Amino acid sequence: MNLVMKNKLLIPISSMTSEENKTGSWRFLRPRFENKTAPCSAACPAGEDIPQIEMLTAQGEFKEAWEMILRENPFPAVCGRVCFHRCESFCNRANYDEAIAVHTMERFLADTAARYDFHPPAPVASPRQERIAIVGGGPAGLAAAWFLARLGFQCDILEAASEVGGLLRWGIPAYRLPQDALLQDVERLQAAGVGIFTNRRVDETFLTDPGSLYQAVLVATGYGKGQMMGIPGETVADVLEGLDFLRNLREGKQIPGEGTTAVIGGGNTAVDVARSVVRLGGKAVIYYRRRQQDMPAFAEEIRMAIEEGVIIQELVSPVEIERDGSHLVLSLQRMAVSGEEAGRARVVSAGGSSEAVEAQRIIRAIGAEPQEPWMAPPPAGPDTIVLSHSRIVLGKGQRPVLYTGDLVNETKSVTHAIASGKQAAIALDIFFHEGAAAVASRLAGCTVGDGSSQSLEIYLGGERKLRSNHVVGYSEINTDYFSFAPRIRQPRLLIEERRRSFSEIDLKISAGLAMQEAARCFNCGLCNNCDNCRLFCPDVTVIREADTRRINYDYCKGCGICVVECPRNAMSLKEEADQ
Amino acid sequence: MRRVIEGSQAVAEAVRLSHVQVVSAYPITPQTHIVETLSDYCEKGLMQARFMRMEGEQSCLAALIGAELMGVRTFTATSSQGLAYMHELLHWSSGARLPIVMAVANRALAPGWNIWADQTDSLSQRDTGWIQIYCEDGQDVLDSTLIAYRLAESVNLPVMVMLDAFYLSHTYEPVDIPEEADAYRFLPPYEPRFKMSTADPHSFAGLVPPVSYMEMRHDIALAMEDALPQEVQIEEEFASIFGRRYSALEAINCDDAEIVFMTSGTITSTTRLVVQKLREQGEKVGLLKIRLFRPFPTDLLREALKNAKKVAVIDRNFSFGTSGIFAQELRSALCNFSPKPLVFGYIAGIGGRDVTPAIIESIYQTTKSTATPDENGVWAGLKE
Amino acid sequence: MDAELRERELMHSGHVGCPGCGAAIAMRFFLKAMGEKTVIVLPACCWSIIAGPYPQSTLDAPIIHCAFETAASTASGVRAALDMQGDTETKVVAWAGDGGTFDIGFQALSGAVERNEDFLYVCYDNEAYMNTGIQRSSSTPYGAWTTTTPGRDWKKMRKKNIVEALVAHRIPYVATASIAFPDDLIRKAQKAREIKGSRFLHIYASCPTGWRIPSELSVKIARMAVQTNIFPLYEVEDGKNYTINYKPREYLVREYFRLQGRFRHLTDHDLDQIQAMVDEDWQRLLAKA
Repeated sequence: MNLVMKNKLLIPISSMTSEENKTGSWRFLRPRFENKTAPCSAACPAGEDIPQIEMLTAQGEFKEAWEMILRENPFPAVCGRVCFHRCESFCNRANYDEAIAVHTMERFLADTAARYDFHPPAPVASPRQERIAIVGGGPAGLAAAWFLARLGFQCDILEAASEVGGLLRWGIPAYRLPQDALLQDVERLQAAGVGIFTNRRVDETFLTDPGSLYQAVLVATGYGKGQMMGIPGETVADVLEGLDFLRNLREGKQIPGEGTTAVIGGGNTAVDVARSVVRLGGKAVIYYRRRQQDMPAFAEEIRMAIEEGVIIQELVSPVEIERDGSHLVLSLQRMAVSGEEAGRARVVSAGGSSEAVEAQRIIRAIGAEPQEPWMAPPPAGPDTIVLSHSRIVLGKGQRPVLYTGDLVNETKSVTHAIASGKQAAIALDIFFHEGAAAVASRLAGCTVGDGSSQSLEIYLGGERKLRSNHVVGYSEINTDYFSFAPRIRQPRLLIEERRRSFSEIDLKISAGLAMQEAARCFNCGLCNNCDNCRLFCPDVTVIREADTRRINYDYCKGCGICVVECPRNAMSLKEEADQ
Repeated sequence: MRRVIEGSQAVAEAVRLSHVQVVSAYPITPQTHIVETLSDYCEKGLMQARFMRMEGEQSCLAALIGAELMGVRTFTATSSQGLAYMHELLHWSSGARLPIVMAVANRALAPGWNIWADQTDSLSQRDTGWIQIYCEDGQDVLDSTLIAYRLAESVNLPVMVMLDAFYLSHTYEPVDIPEEADAYRFLPPYEPRFKMSTADPHSFAGLVPPVSYMEMRHDIALAMEDALPQEVQIEEEFASIFGRRYSALEAINCDDAEIVFMTSGTITSTTRLVVQKLREQGEKVGLLKIRLFRPFPTDLLREALKNAKKVAVIDRNFSFGTSGIFAQELRSALCNFSPKPLVFGYIAGIGGRDVTPAIIESIYQTTKSTATPDENGVWAGLKE
Repeated sequence: MDAELRERELMHSGHVGCPGCGAAIAMRFFLKAMGEKTVIVLPACCWSIIAGPYPQSTLDAPIIHCAFETAASTASGVRAALDMQGDTETKVVAWAGDGGTFDIGFQALSGAVERNEDFLYVCYDNEAYMNTGIQRSSSTPYGAWTTTTPGRDWKKMRKKNIVEALVAHRIPYVATASIAFPDDLIRKAQKAREIKGSRFLHIYASCPTGWRIPSELSVKIARMAVQTNIFPLYEVEDGKNYTINYKPREYLVREYFRLQGRFRHLTDHDLDQIQAMVDEDWQRLLAKA
């Protein structure tokens, strides 16, 4: 066929893809990836990156999860046991089924670290010249030392007792915090180069003149002295101070415990004393002036105390102690509720005559105060910087003295002590880098969410700095992507086993259970690479690059499906013009 | 091999010899023998083809469009209502430049069910871009079907091959059936100029905006223009292999004719006899058989009729509001030509009515004695 | 969804689907499941346009655009040709909207599946003739506004049950799927892919433009349709074996209807009636499984 044809077979067949059209020009709303703050992190006094920790745990990345804790909290083994887990009260999942057992997860990670001998990564900050003296080796002092070491400082802890730990070593019974759990965390400090000097008591003059060795002093001596009740007979034999009682137990001394012990007070110390008495074979009765629900001790501790046989007598106040031969007689006045204030009862004497009870011994645990008056921070003044969890006094010669821990914290807890130590450490770093005037404002720039918890990672300019401070609420979670799953039940010793010894009550959990529980976490505000955004995009504009994603704005039409289908609100949709 | 077969069978033989791979079928009188025969061939293995028993004519053509796009040779047959039903897809086939071949048994359109010979069905589809061939006898039908594939595949346009209902479809005639080898030589296996494949994926026949559509349509027009010289060359090749020569037009006794009949289909056979008889009576009469209707062979017609004074077009069809369609097309072809004969249009044989030699003769007499043609055409053989 | 499928992309950006288009999402998931050896026959519908105007194509698969009513018949022809060419790997898919399936294309569909043609017919359902401007189809649900059922003339005919119509043809596989349940959709597409004979997938594809919902709720609405039993996820094999894939908790249809502008005119009484219809249909379906 040699005829030349006029027709060219011009047919409607494609020769290019649709990528010629830059449909991004259609957009009037722009989605973007925006990690936000989870309510648990904002609630944690130490500002731990809890959603990230749970995410890593769920993926089996236990070492990474553990390292994530250490960025903000040096004591996972301690906190995993004795922290009052405020985070769980703010957990969004509680609105869906049950809160995540963050507490249990932290304990698991600490146990795993101990088992596999994890070591923390080296600090990112370069070494500094300054050397800091830390008076008191309790949770605040130890935490401050850790954070100062992370910031490059050299520190020496000067501890009056024979071992560091403070309340952690001497004030919390072994069934809640065994010694080797504390040792794990303390050994890490020593490995980080922190100097620890025990049996070193300092006096008042040290604060103003610590010698040329130190450029700052941190006071973290805590509330180590029990308060007196101020009633007649308080000083007779067998009337003991709760903190002393607990320390003696921790020192391994033989303590008589048979018979009935009356415990006065409603805080954790009182409950710890009572539960220890049970383990010594005795009977413990707690006498508290308000209602049981007003007791400042952790609710879970109270519940377990009652399970173990501790009796709680509420609305009674001690008026007098007398000896009667081999036992003591405690006179109690009935109290009555006269009103409520912030959920706690105000009580007044109910009138009528007092009641008397008998006991082998009476242990008071009504409160504590600094060991020495000079340890208390001075009132605010022109030379002081008052922060949320610490106070800086700029002494003569410009050598700062910082007060931390129970000395300054309104809420006296281990985790608040850690928060305090962290804040003091960061404050010192700012002070030495930029001067006193910058401290408050710089600290304000590295809080987590809307609260007062400081994040060292944010201070150091890490990934968390990029996150929005918006705290994700439950309504912002797309619960379509979750199914009901019960919270892990903490395995424990049986009640009978608990009463018989000081062995740790909460048992270890398996990695499988830990991952299962951690997987329940919504990871509020934090991308966990679920890929929903990428998969559901009708325009194929979400591109994966290694472990992250980006949106191809040449084509994104701003439909917003990615933002709605993100289960954990790790994206935002804003007006295009605002970009 | 020479055998006495029905026109329908002749179609089937040609389809078999063309190594068609996909046949779609929906029955409509009087096409049924075509598809039944093909079904039989497939069942007996005489044809290696997929025989698709579709649920309607539109689906028949749709299936072929799909199959042809994948690069296989296809065939279907229909008639009247079925062809009308396919209308949308007739446009689609040519627009998609697919070399589908379809046999159409020219049958009248309802209402008033009428299964007999009438060309209105295929002619009312003359705008759809299909090449149209009108056959006169059984041999013509067989040969034109083979030729249709060559022609279709050369210009990428579909081809309709017409055979009158019953007069061709159901009439037995002696037909020379080509040998396999000869048919193969004339029509080798299909090599598509384009097809769809997953190895090189494209989108075909999507949205074409005004900036691009016109060129594609113009290309179809060019393909139709190309069909004329292609047809000549193909007929030449056919003649050299089989010894039978076909063309767009066949002129009989036209050189000195004053009046020329223009006919198509089986009416041509009868008219040949009438012309012979009239010639014996001394009339200067000729016959122009038109076989290729689309593309309309304008130049050839002008050449063939340049000496005629009058043309008597016999249309077995009608376009309501104007006239018989062959007449209309002829008038249009002669419009800008000079000198040109007067075109007398006659409508005969509508709905299968017999077009007898007497009617044809009377058409001659009327033409001879009338000075000015009736533009609406004269309906021959109407009852009073 | 496994890693390979997540990464497999046979659809390009730059198409002209409306923001939030459920049909685009449906195709994207579907092609992940089908892979490259797929020929798509595409009648007139939204996807005719989303597929790209000449000379563009949105997909990395061959697309044969065809006349509105001919998806199933054209696909039958494609399959016949592939069979005659000895190609046993390439799969033939007809991808049609509800108009081209339930209405004008129904004859061809019924004819093709009665012949048990070996192809996979997918109807992506946005419940109206969306491409031509939101006109009513027999897939439009009871209660909906469309441009041809406006005001008080809202559609008072119930949605045609295309799945049951196909089940009645006793074809090897019929299933429903939803863009909000991608793993289920992909599993069904992959399963259908490997079956010989006629297979039908009915995919719920939300249309923000036609349903008057914000584009970002496109997937959420699709999920709610399943959760309220308005669009149950189920499969039927050989015209008799029913498997219900998802049994939701109690979700009231009210929630689903209230989110969509096309149902804004419905009163509480209307919604109660609709709830009763949905409950009845669900019970009937449960009885078959």
